[in-house]
Amino acid sequence: MARGKDKKKRKLEKKQEGDDVPKKIPHTLESLREKDETIVANAEAEEQEEAQKDLELDELSSYYQNSYEPKVLITYSDNPHTKTRIFGKELARLIPNSISRYRQRSSVKKIVTSAKREDVTDVIIINENQKNPNGFLLIHLPDGPTAHFRLSSCKITPELRKDYKDITIHRPEVILNNFSTRLGLTVGRMLGALFHYEPEFRGRRAVTFHNQRDYIFFRHHRYEFTKDGRRAKLAELGPRFTLRLVSLQQGTFDSKTGDYEWIIAGRRHQLETSRRRFFL
Amino acid sequence: MLLENSDVDIFVASKIGSFKHIKYHSEASKNTKKCIENLVDIKKLQKDDTITRMVWANEEQTEILIGRRNQQVQTYNTEQAKFTQTVTADYAKGDVVGLGKYKRRLITALASGVVKIWSKKDEVVINTGAELDTLKSCEENRSVFATGGKENDIKLWLIGEHRPIFQAKNLANDWLQLRQPVWVTDLCFLPGEGGRLVVGCSRYGYVRLYDTRAQRRPVVNVEFKAMAATCVTPSFDDKQVLVGFGRGQLHQVDLRGKGRPDKGYKGSAGAITCVAAAPAPRRILSVGLDRHLRVHDYDSKALLYKQYLTSKLTGLLVQTATSTPLQHHDDEAVKEEEEVKEEDDLDALFEEMDTVLEKPKKKRAEEKPPTTEAKKLKPSTEGSTEVDLEQAEELEDSEDAEDPEEAIKKLLKSTEKKKKRMEKKKKEKRAKSVFFNA
Repeated sequence: MARGKDKKKRKLEKKQEGDDVPKKIPHTLESLREKDETIVANAEAEEQEEAQKDLELDELSSYYQNSYEPKVLITYSDNPHTKTRIFGKELARLIPNSISRYRQRSSVKKIVTSAKREDVTDVIIINENQKNPNGFLLIHLPDGPTAHFRLSSCKITPELRKDYKDITIHRPEVILNNFSTRLGLTVGRMLGALFHYEPEFRGRRAVTFHNQRDYIFFRHHRYEFTKDGRRAKLAELGPRFTLRLVSLQQGTFDSKTGDYEWIIAGRRHQLETSRRRFFL
Repeated sequence: MLLENSDVDIFVASKIGSFKHIKYHSEASKNTKKCIENLVDIKKLQKDDTITRMVWANEEQTEILIGRRNQQVQTYNTEQAKFTQTVTADYAKGDVVGLGKYKRRLITALASGVVKIWSKKDEVVINTGAELDTLKSCEENRSVFATGGKENDIKLWLIGEHRPIFQAKNLANDWLQLRQPVWVTDLCFLPGEGGRLVVGCSRYGYVRLYDTRAQRRPVVNVEFKAMAATCVTPSFDDKQVLVGFGRGQLHQVDLRGKGRPDKGYKGSAGAITCVAAAPAPRRILSVGLDRHLRVHDYDSKALLYKQYLTSKLTGLLVQTATSTPLQHHDDEAVKEEEEVKEEDDLDALFEEMDTVLEKPKKKRAEEKPPTTEAKKLKPSTEGSTEVDLEQAEELEDSEDAEDPEEAIKKLLKSTEKKKKRMEKKKKEKRAKSVFFNA
């Protein structure tokens, strides 16, 4: 009870102080995050230069030099159920220049070779468990990397009471938030490379990958500026889902003999040493 | 002496082509970022500069052979601290997967399976039959080298002979009468055996020991289910090897008797690409795709040191025979001396220079005098004749009319300039930051 009274007092005090007192930053797991040595922003100049070079020379650099138009193939685990099918179709509508195909019992390696032949630049494979999509495999072609995400809290447009037909064909703007470590940067770049390099601002369509405590939240909005042009109203278009990185592998999909750049399986207790440690 | 002995010189190669020298002190407090230095100019790196293989060229460990993806083979001399020789091995397709040196002959292997032995008199080309993943020459008998690759089992070659002196035979078919797949990713000769014992590891998850005098089939076969072995090095004790895996495990494998997996070294988040062992005190060093160099204690398995090295690491060499000083260490010492000398000059320089803070003051001082003079004039004119007063007033007017306006203009200009400068700085900062570009 005493605490409640204190709260009232504190509130009063705050009121008396007025508005000129700057807002304090609340202590959250994120703001108290453990220092990560791989965060590029606070590295020294020489290291930053090397990191920059590393980015310039990696497999995704050709996309970021705007040298090609991404072409995405979306496929599923075998015999997907309705929700997964709809989710895949919505993804296909959402990502420009993408197609959704049923897997037809083909292996991932086969899919990769045929996708390479067809000049596909990225392959997405959605896995399903108990009629719910639960896995998201992203393969960048022609030579990797491959990211495997756990997919959760997936809401397709009917569940959000939206209509998938509201999703226009304009190329969306992509917002990548909070991908700060070197690993996060690669993952963010991979997700960004799914969409066209140049958005069509006419469509006012924005796609957000927001990373918070290693969970990547996906949201899809249409925005509209207010008349004075100061703020923007947002209308969510859906779908909405959350990703969490399971592994990042060098090269195209090869889970048995491939080299992993980062993998959590089998070393969770070594890596997750604290609640305030994040990898992306 | 003791301290010097405990230093370990480490050379690390990376996927973007950078090549670093790290001095590891066994005292944890001494390991700072100053102990790391780049031996290659990072700005000049190209897309195909990836270092695919790095080995010692001689027993004195003063020369390093570096193979790059663009099929260049460079020789780095640690004593002179520079690249002394470059050879382009473009006789076939593929990355440089193996290097060796026997006397003055250079051995290069390309991923397509072609090995070439370069010498002044003649150049010998050997086709090993299938793709190659590795080539290693025997430390004790450098005229012998071994090759292995995907569906290309271990073969031992002697320089000067066109046929392998030893050719491994695959295991017997399994209980379904199916052939066992072969993929040798790395191999090593066990020391102290004169090149008799060869160990190969595979991405299909096995470590095999071959005794070239006993039989063609492996003497010992240790299976690791669903673990892709990437690299192997002899450990400290007899018939012990260290094996790194594609999922980040690092294990010692005991090849005595039937063979068994031994202790593991934890800590890596990504594939291990190269392992090395440093004696006295016994340390296990490893680099991997998670961009870290790790040092474990051999006995206690404790992680003693880890260092983030910015790019994906592909190769690791430990200098045990000699040691090389860091280049910039000497430079720093010299620099410090220079700084001491320069201090006097610097003081003089600083005295001459205008500080940024003083500038506006000076401007004000420049602007003020005319007005003050005018004010000073006033009382003097009051006392004099009317004509003088009028003239003075006229003067005053003209001065007052011009000066404040000019001053305002000047002020405005200066503030605008300042603003522009600030904006420029901000832009530059943004452009520099990696995130904005990414």
